Amino acid sequence: MRETRRNTRTLLLAGFGGLLILMAFAGLDTMQVLRTIQNRNDAIRSEFLNRNRFLNQIRSDLYVSGTYVRDYLLEPEPSKAESHRTGLENARRNMETAVRQYARLLRESEQKPFANLERELAQYWQVLAPVMRWDAQQRQTAGYAFLRDEVYPRRTAMLGLADAISALNERQLTTGNGQVSDLFSSFRVRLSLTLIVTLGLGLLLASYSMSRILSLERESNARFQETAQARVELKQLSARLVDAQETERRAISRELHDEVGQSLSALVVGLGNLAASVQTAHTPNLIAQIAELRKLAGSSVGVVRNMALLLRPSMLDDLGLIPALQWQAREVSKRSGVVVDFAGEEIVEHLSDEQKTAIYRVVQEALHNCEKHAGAKEIRIKVRQQQDTLLLSIQDDGCGIEPFAQQGLGLRGMQERIENLGGMFNVESEVGRGSLITVRLPIEKHARN
Amino acid sequence: MQEIRILLADDHSVMRSGLRVLLERQPGFRVIAEAADGRETVDMAEAHLPDVLVVDIAMPRLNGIDAVREITGKHPKIAVIILSMHSDEGYVLRALKAGARGYLLKDSPEADLIGAIRAVHDGKAFFSPAISKMLAEDYLRHLRQRGGEDTYELLTAREREVLHMLAEGRSNKEVASILNLSLYTVETHRSNILQKLNLKGTPELILYAVRKGVIS
Repeated sequence: MRETRRNTRTLLLAGFGGLLILMAFAGLDTMQVLRTIQNRNDAIRSEFLNRNRFLNQIRSDLYVSGTYVRDYLLEPEPSKAESHRTGLENARRNMETAVRQYARLLRESEQKPFANLERELAQYWQVLAPVMRWDAQQRQTAGYAFLRDEVYPRRTAMLGLADAISALNERQLTTGNGQVSDLFSSFRVRLSLTLIVTLGLGLLLASYSMSRILSLERESNARFQETAQARVELKQLSARLVDAQETERRAISRELHDEVGQSLSALVVGLGNLAASVQTAHTPNLIAQIAELRKLAGSSVGVVRNMALLLRPSMLDDLGLIPALQWQAREVSKRSGVVVDFAGEEIVEHLSDEQKTAIYRVVQEALHNCEKHAGAKEIRIKVRQQQDTLLLSIQDDGCGIEPFAQQGLGLRGMQERIENLGGMFNVESEVGRGSLITVRLPIEKHARN
Repeated sequence: MQEIRILLADDHSVMRSGLRVLLERQPGFRVIAEAADGRETVDMAEAHLPDVLVVDIAMPRLNGIDAVREITGKHPKIAVIILSMHSDEGYVLRALKAGARGYLLKDSPEADLIGAIRAVHDGKAFFSPAISKMLAEDYLRHLRQRGGEDTYELLTAREREVLHMLAEGRSNKEVASILNLSLYTVETHRSNILQKLNLKGTPELILYAVRKGVIS
């Protein structure tokens, strides 16, 4: 039993713990993955933008450089031509910076086109270098042709290369996006799996808990039934015990009264006769002895009678409940000096043996309590019949429930006795103001006479 | 003096023979029959019509009191003495209601039986001294505890006289002739007495008289 309980506890703990851990894992994983995706997205985007920026710089510098070269070659005035040359130098520096910066971000797939671009650029500048030293005359004569044959085609080729790199860059962006979405879908699969496992485990756990709870409920129901059954049996047993005791008492009382008592009475008469017949023999000693024996037998009759009455008053069986209660009231009054007022003349007796006995014993016990524990001065007993109910009340002016409570067993015994017969037993008490016992007993059901 | 014919009823044969020895020692007493149970008692009483019946309460087949009721119902002239183990007034009252005039305890039957037989044969009531004493004491205690007034004080001198005679077992007619009153007057006195003392019938009146010590 204990082993099972411990197993159950371990199982439930493990189940719920696992469930919580799974859920926490799923949550953390989700957060982690979302953060990774965001970072990756950001990184891809910013890298793409940077490259694009550098490529655009290179591209615009190429255009600008072409323009400066044209202006330089076509400018007849040397000072202006010089300023164009300076502009060209600046554009070249800018471009070279951008190329260096781009080189740092270079990817494997771009290496070839980028190397081509660098080579073209180097050739471009190389081709341009002698031109920069041309005088106005040279520029005038060969300038235009140079532009057309050397500068523009090279520029176009380089722009093409830059476009190729840009295209690569864009492809790279798409690839990055694809990676992110791959990451996302693998995450989705993982999350789904986790959720399915969580759900399954949850269901298992729930069904296990449910079955355990149901079986516990069944068990406790069964135990409750057992307890109720046991209580009923105990009550029946107690009722049978009371019955058996009462039967026994009645038998002993009768035996004492009718057999022992009568024999003793016969002895009294016989001894009296004996004394009278030996009187003529002039033996005073013998007569005294016989008288002594006769007296002893006579007082034994009284003792036997009192014993029999204590066990069970014969009035209860011979005369009925009311005379028995009257006798009981008189006895207590005589014995203790307590005023016992009994009112019960008007009852029509249709009481079963058990009912008579129960009422009688309740009154006896109550009187005993009042006399011994409550310190009552006056006790009022009322018995009357109201249709099919016998009503009994016992009121005393004693000190109330507290000392009475010590006699709990007696009270409970009274209550049990009455309830076994389908009656109601009630005690009202206030400390210092006495107590009132009331009994309602249905009498039709048990009527026998 | 005429012989008193007695019927003894008790289920104990030792008791019966003891009583027979006791009674037959008395001049003028004769035990004419014995009965061992209630039914036999009734039959014997029918057969022998004794002057006095001495009967135990606890007997098989028919108890003593029921037997007495049956017998006195048919033969009111038979004087009945109950001889019993029971000292309670419930039994005494029951015996009186059944028609008995004497009630003796078995503690000391032989001491009182002779006197009791003579008394009931004379039409008077008779109780064991122990019973009279107990009844009187109960009554006194009752008065003391409740401090109520003694109902006896409510009776007039003439009513007390009537009470006394009725309690002794005399009939209304006898009382009327002794006191030189009309029967109707005696009946009126009787019902007044019962009402003043809150009693129901002659048996209770006799018990009351014993309690008061008016008779013993």
